[in-house]
Amino acid sequence: MMYANVALGILSSLPMAIEGTNRLIVDIAMFFGLLVIVAMALNFQYGNAGIPNMGCAVQVIIGAFSVSAIVLRVMLTVAASAGRPLQDWTNDFNWVYTSPANTAIMNEFIKNNMVTGIGFFLLSLGVALVLGAVIGYLLALPAIRLRATYLMIVLITMADASQIIGRNVVSISGGTLGLWIPNVFAWYPGDVGVITAVITLLLGIIAFFIFRTMLNSPYGRLMRSMRENEVTLGSIGKNVVGIRRNILMFASGVTAIAGVMNVYYFQFSNESGYQRAYWTYWPWLMLILGGPGNNAGTFLGAAMVIALRRSIIVFKFQIQSLFFFPVSYIEDIILGGLLVFVMIFRPSGLIPEKLLYVPGVNYAKMVKEDVKVDWRAAPKARVKKSEEKKSKTEEKK
Amino acid sequence: MDVTIWFMAITYAAELTLLCIGYTLTYVTAKIPNFAHGTYAGFGIYVSYTFAKFFGINPYYGFPLAFVIGGLISVIVFRLVISTLTKMGSGSIVLTIATLAIQVFLGAILYIYAYMFISFYKQYATAFLLKEYDFKIGDISGIFYVAIGISTVAVIALHYLLTRTKMGIAMRATAEDTELASVLGINIVNVQLFSWFLTGGLACLAGAMIPMWFQSSPATGSAIITSIMAGSLLGGFDNIYGAIIGGFTIGMAEIMLTLGGQLLVGNWFGEYRPLIPMFFLIAVLLIEPGGIAGMYERLGRRRIRASIKKPKEKEDEK
Repeated sequence: MMYANVALGILSSLPMAIEGTNRLIVDIAMFFGLLVIVAMALNFQYGNAGIPNMGCAVQVIIGAFSVSAIVLRVMLTVAASAGRPLQDWTNDFNWVYTSPANTAIMNEFIKNNMVTGIGFFLLSLGVALVLGAVIGYLLALPAIRLRATYLMIVLITMADASQIIGRNVVSISGGTLGLWIPNVFAWYPGDVGVITAVITLLLGIIAFFIFRTMLNSPYGRLMRSMRENEVTLGSIGKNVVGIRRNILMFASGVTAIAGVMNVYYFQFSNESGYQRAYWTYWPWLMLILGGPGNNAGTFLGAAMVIALRRSIIVFKFQIQSLFFFPVSYIEDIILGGLLVFVMIFRPSGLIPEKLLYVPGVNYAKMVKEDVKVDWRAAPKARVKKSEEKKSKTEEKK
Repeated sequence: MDVTIWFMAITYAAELTLLCIGYTLTYVTAKIPNFAHGTYAGFGIYVSYTFAKFFGINPYYGFPLAFVIGGLISVIVFRLVISTLTKMGSGSIVLTIATLAIQVFLGAILYIYAYMFISFYKQYATAFLLKEYDFKIGDISGIFYVAIGISTVAVIALHYLLTRTKMGIAMRATAEDTELASVLGINIVNVQLFSWFLTGGLACLAGAMIPMWFQSSPATGSAIITSIMAGSLLGGFDNIYGAIIGGFTIGMAEIMLTLGGQLLVGNWFGEYRPLIPMFFLIAVLLIEPGGIAGMYERLGRRRIRASIKKPKEKEDEK
């Protein structure tokens, strides 16, 4: 019955279908999509290339700020040129205080112009990708030639720095008050949350296939060899700094998209929603819990962590009476404790990493130990392997 | 300009110096940047709070207790997490992430401790200042003298420890090469425990001094970590004498540059105070990644080269 309700809700997404438990399911799907994008990009950087990116929050913030600072202005300009009676938004004061009124007019405008709405959405994705790549380049600039610990320090401090700048420069995201963001899916007759969640999950799937293809290409092997030993890679003539920078730029762009989708889900942009505790540590916990180095582990880790977090939030009011302090600190204790616990008792995660499938390479000939090869990347080869096994068992018989 | 601001800056700089020394000592012994180091200071802040507001005793009596508590927390962290992970052969990146997790964990415990006062004793414990518990010499708060005194004593004692005592030499040997030190008969576990106790104790002691002049909250300890890292990096990241100079410079710069900016461009500049250590951090990484110690070493090498040349010239003369 519940599944039927959910299916009905997604198909028709009438407002009456999106209440109570169904709203919770949409919420979980949305946050799963968002954090899986961040965690997969992190897995791409840390799990496969060995870059300890502690600045996921910066990249997400850049995505969010690109919507409120750039795309919103474009939207308003387009609507104004189409003759909509928008209020003045040019100075800092009006930028914040006419935001609700302008947003209502914009929603009306997008509702009647579906193509424009989709155009705005695609534009924001493009801007976020480009800006994310630029910020990845800038982040890499001071520290990428140095030891990994320096990179971590710079990225962590940058997360705080971007929040401070966002709080004080009003023209970016409305300072402390925040900005209302027009709903680019206003043309969709059903619930906004549903379509945002569905599109986020779709983007997550697209990102998954891109990352998978890259990992199984020669570039993926290059990344893994860089993770294992930079010096060797440098000595055979590969540009380690360049590869690292490229990976950081690409992953930053992808992570920024999560920021865009987050803004469109809440239809509100403010720096306070992008604390590093949320956008950096939770993805790291997902990655470590699931097992760095493979996307299946990342999915599992993300699903488990989000189920845990959401169940804390749902039962918050029932649990609250048991404690004398806000329950959110229990979340922090679980986050910290679980991360250390997994590191000590399950260092390779729930799903350990396997060796990459490389066409024509037989690991059994190279190493004496039993190695596990990731056959998921090579469906045809897997069939062959099972046939080999069959023939072997037949021989034994 | 008011003269008290200079005293305030020097007090802050002295406290930051203590924190930077401990942070660098951890980096030297364990080769990891300990992100939980600032949170140890948070525990010091609450030792002072408990003494002053809860027991009503002068917070200065709590300083030795703060040292011991900080040391114990640090030793527990080392025994439970860091040493276990090191034995498992984890790399420095995994260890650093573990310290981040510890930071989040300890930070939450501090908040819970603060909320305990709010719920059970109806005391407002999440933002406070203990200036009224301080004594005064002339117009200046006593913490100015105490901070300078404790920092100076700590620096001299540490110098004596590291160069003159057996324990200090064993610490340096362990930092250089753990296996070689164990071959020489040094009990590595004891040495590491001692150095972690020392770092945690110094951090907690510095933290206990913070609320005597500065507004404090449970988040103060976690927020100060950027300044600690900037100071340590400016000093060279693995040089304790560099950390003294670096920590003092960053502490002075943070307060004096904020004030200068406020006087020059307007009051809004105060909001950007946390960006000043970050600016130093990135400037050091771009200009001289080795920091002051690296620069000194480079100049020293030049001096050595010059001194090598001189005797040759003399030989030529002969």
